[in-house]
Amino acid sequence: MAKQEQASVSSMNEIAVTLKNCSLSFGDVPVLNNVSLDIYNNEFVSILGPSGCGKSTLLRLMLSLLQPNAGGEVKLAKDLSIGMVFQKPVLMPWLTAIQNIVLPLTIGEKRFSKKEARDKAEGALRLVGLQDFTNHFPHQLSGGMQQRIAIARALAADPAVLLMDEPFGALDEFTREKLNFELLRLWESPDTSLSTVVMVTHSIQESVIMSNRIVMMSPRPAGVDAIIPVPLPAHREVGMEELPEYHHTVNELRKRVKHL
Amino acid sequence: MMNKIKSSMYPISFALGFIVLWELAVRLFHVPVYLLPAPSAVIEVMDGSLSSHMLVTLTEALAGFVLANILGMITAVIFVHSKSIEKGAFPLAIALKTTPLVALAPLLVVWMGTGYSSKVVASMLICFFPILVNSVKGLKAIEHEAWELFSTYKGTKAEIFWKLRLPTSLPYVFSALKISSSLAIVGAIVGEFVGANKGLGYVVLVSSYHMDTPIMFSAIIASALCGLLLFWGISWLEKKVVFWQRADDL
Repeated sequence: MAKQEQASVSSMNEIAVTLKNCSLSFGDVPVLNNVSLDIYNNEFVSILGPSGCGKSTLLRLMLSLLQPNAGGEVKLAKDLSIGMVFQKPVLMPWLTAIQNIVLPLTIGEKRFSKKEARDKAEGALRLVGLQDFTNHFPHQLSGGMQQRIAIARALAADPAVLLMDEPFGALDEFTREKLNFELLRLWESPDTSLSTVVMVTHSIQESVIMSNRIVMMSPRPAGVDAIIPVPLPAHREVGMEELPEYHHTVNELRKRVKHL
Repeated sequence: MMNKIKSSMYPISFALGFIVLWELAVRLFHVPVYLLPAPSAVIEVMDGSLSSHMLVTLTEALAGFVLANILGMITAVIFVHSKSIEKGAFPLAIALKTTPLVALAPLLVVWMGTGYSSKVVASMLICFFPILVNSVKGLKAIEHEAWELFSTYKGTKAEIFWKLRLPTSLPYVFSALKISSSLAIVGAIVGEFVGANKGLGYVVLVSSYHMDTPIMFSAIIASALCGLLLFWGISWLEKKVVFWQRADDL
């Protein structure tokens, strides 16, 4: 809860990431069509849309792994640090859990010393509850644990923004639901620097239970079809799927999907 | 451990059964020794001189194997970093591979004489291609998302190479090493056939002139043993190095 309260006094309406008139084509194939979108501090945003519509491409624009066509613009808040979680855990199989988390802290600009990186990695492992698996290799861990390591790896660098590309898409329903709420707790927790989460998903239910706002994408070339606020209480809990607001939003999204 | 012993019991008992049958058949049907010597006759001629010849062949093969793999991996790294060099030089590597080593071996002896070097080079030539092809494949086998992960954290080209490409390629490298471990022996023996005064290939050749079939058999068995030793060595190393790769994945 702490994070939301802080947010309301300080920076709720500050923009973390802005996409302005972003179009993108791979060769002759248009993928994104004139997408404009503001992502604010302290919000949980889901990007929802049919498979292969370019949702993941949107995240890659925010990471500057891809550049928009001429005329488009991606703007990040000053000194914004971003973490990324992919659909697959993308762990190095030759590294232990802790080494996998240390890895991104010790490459590139090398912002941390070995000791600092190790401490941060240990902290991140504790956050996802895997401190007892520090020296396990990925092949010794279940799919859900591997994805938690991937989340810990993204959190270890203290990002303000976490981008997630269908992070739970490859998991079974039980693990998925558990991790959904774990992620929400991490986002709310004052122990993380996390302020904003942008999650790509193709699950309507997941997007409603998790997010403050849902960005509905149209099929390729993808544009923003609608932005739908979720009227559920700020602090999400298991069981809120029973609330009429939940059903109302899910139904509204379903209707929109049919019209696409 | 118990399982290991149990599973190795099968091949050992089959081999022993085969040797016993062979011995019995030779004795029962009075097969002349120049056609097929009994196992006991082969064992009788195995002595210190055979093991010194074996050591020569093993040294030549191992030297060629190691040099070819170092050279092959360096070439692969160059290929992966330069498309134009890969395009230009890869067909040449294929041409080299398709030239029969047996046809090249006399030339090697003309150039380098009957000593070690011609055999080492023969062994190198035959080992070079598998490691080149597999290393190129392995170095390119990185997951796109893994590359994105390194890029997100501004990983340099060198970091991507040492921390991602190289380890990713290791399972591919080891399957090449397994293939070429037996080829290395072939290379050394072909070299010895053409011109040598020691080594298992030399022993096979000389014993065939004298119709000394038991000696010939002993040399053939020793050369098979050389190949097995190399193969086992590599397999053992593979389990230690590429521990994350289960055997059934390969």
